[in-house]
Amino acid sequence: MTPTDKSAEKFERQMNLLAALSDTTQGIRAADIQQRVPGYNPDHDSFRRTFERDKKDLLSLGVPIEVVVGATADLTAYRVDKSKYELPDPGLESDELAALHLALETVAVGSTQADMARAMWRLGGVVDSATSDPLGVPVGELTEIPSDPALIPLFRAVTERRTATFEYETTAGVSERNVEPWHLDFQRGRWTLAAFDTSREEQRNFRLDRIRGDVVLDGAGSQIHPAPSTLDEQSDPWEFGDSDPIMVSVQFDAEVASFASESLSSCLSEEAPGGSRIFQVPVTNWPAFRSFVLSFLDHAEVLRPADYRTAMIDWLSAIAGDSNG
Amino acid sequence: MADLTAAERLDRTLAIVPWVANQPNGTATFSEIGERFNIDSDDLRDCLVITSMVGVHPYTPDVLINAIVDADTVSIELPDYFRRPLRLTAEQTFALLTSAKALLSVPGADEDSALARGLAKVLIALGEASETAVEIAIDTASDAITEQLRSAIDNRLCVEITYYSYGRDNTGNRLIDPWTIHSEGGLWYLQGWCHTSGAERIFRIDRIREVTQIDRAFDVPDPVPEFQLFDSSGVNGRVTLRLGPSAKWVVEYYPTESVTSEPNGAITVELAIGSLAWFERLLLRLGPDAVVLDASEGLDAVGPASARRLLAIYSE
Repeated sequence: MTPTDKSAEKFERQMNLLAALSDTTQGIRAADIQQRVPGYNPDHDSFRRTFERDKKDLLSLGVPIEVVVGATADLTAYRVDKSKYELPDPGLESDELAALHLALETVAVGSTQADMARAMWRLGGVVDSATSDPLGVPVGELTEIPSDPALIPLFRAVTERRTATFEYETTAGVSERNVEPWHLDFQRGRWTLAAFDTSREEQRNFRLDRIRGDVVLDGAGSQIHPAPSTLDEQSDPWEFGDSDPIMVSVQFDAEVASFASESLSSCLSEEAPGGSRIFQVPVTNWPAFRSFVLSFLDHAEVLRPADYRTAMIDWLSAIAGDSNG
Repeated sequence: MADLTAAERLDRTLAIVPWVANQPNGTATFSEIGERFNIDSDDLRDCLVITSMVGVHPYTPDVLINAIVDADTVSIELPDYFRRPLRLTAEQTFALLTSAKALLSVPGADEDSALARGLAKVLIALGEASETAVEIAIDTASDAITEQLRSAIDNRLCVEITYYSYGRDNTGNRLIDPWTIHSEGGLWYLQGWCHTSGAERIFRIDRIREVTQIDRAFDVPDPVPEFQLFDSSGVNGRVTLRLGPSAKWVVEYYPTESVTSEPNGAITVELAIGSLAWFERLLLRLGPDAVVLDASEGLDAVGPASARRLLAIYSE
């Protein structure tokens, strides 16, 4: 038998297997698959090996094969729930298909060409655009979104409402976090996760580049807390701490006030003499906020509260080599 | 059939079969299918001939796929399975949503474009959970400034920009030949020739405060030099730092000349310093976590000097 014949045989057998799994509601037992689906070997061990490989292949395409556990191993059955298999028809026009295809080709997000092509087949294939500018974006420049190994597992956790566990590094060290992921956000070149932290019992934001090791997911629907309709916008590093927020008041001079506003757009602020601006910033992570303020060099000054002002003076005095502030 | 793996063939066939069955009279031509699903006629024919033999026990007509393969058309009628394509995997959904949202967040993107309409339909098909799962903001650059730069690039006209230089820590006006706009790591940059400094420069668009088009034409170099964010040509010295364990991020964030680990967990790194203000920020931020072991002339006392300068503000 030539390899080509073998490959065609495998294709036909897997099509028949998928048809059999889709055509049952209670599930079909392995023994019945062996008898009724054409292409399987009558020898039990040989059948089992081929069947397990076929199942693995189908799962890797995303086929949702369910195992219906029976009273004994022999009664274990398999099925594919059509409502979980079928992609509802998005009803895409050809220019819309072309635009989505172009978007996938334009923006690199760490997915392979093959995977993107497969996504397009499922949506109805790739067609040439009927309109000249399907993207409606006036740029020819390549856009790149950095990828992160935690992205896909966390995306699944968000869309399938699964809880997630991972090791997370902060200035205090690495600790295990158990969270209900709500939302992924890409801003200022960085991915963050908004989630309900089950041990701290409130929303926390996590930087994906601080997640260490694998993200472990629980079952679908294992989240208890619904995502709030408006999430706290806390994408700044000084809001990633675990302490209670302290209002810190900082003055930025005229030279940098407008850049400070971009980072602190959600904070209250008031104009001060000479074009400078004073911001009230809720801070849960002082070292991160200190770094932010210091990045403005002598254009920024911590005004209040007194102990934070003193902390900044002590920090600078230590660098200056003075014995006290 | 030799070119396709069994998995590719299966994946594509599971998309082609429902698509054909949904066409008028369940019929489509080979060329139409071939173009849409990027598959050559011979492969397609093989796949469809095999598909016509697929069915389930007891193989009565109501549970068989009815596929008629002619010279250059195929007609398909389906039983109660394979009627819709397979759902997208998490990787596929993520790539689709992220790429579409990224482009739509570009300043000036058309909200009524085919992309926006397509994304809206896909979100409905994917269900509620996907709708708010991911948000992308490419940058905070003002639409107006980006528009003005684009128009200057298109018209090959010079611009004067008011720019805050992070490296020099000052704001000033510069005359630029704007070559291209480029996005990297979620931020937008202008690449061009800076007449003020007499060299090629890259500017972060969100640090440009004002743009004025100047009625003076320029030529874009062909090819445009490669876009490189880290440019070491402006190096004005080297330093060797000992970093405590909590300052190791420096190695991940910045290009280093050399890194040596010490048994106590500390590391020694050698950095090329291209900007004094950048080095000041690094030392102020690291504080006691960084000790300067060796430095080029003029860089050895930067930490204490800048700390004293900042302390002066606090004593006023």
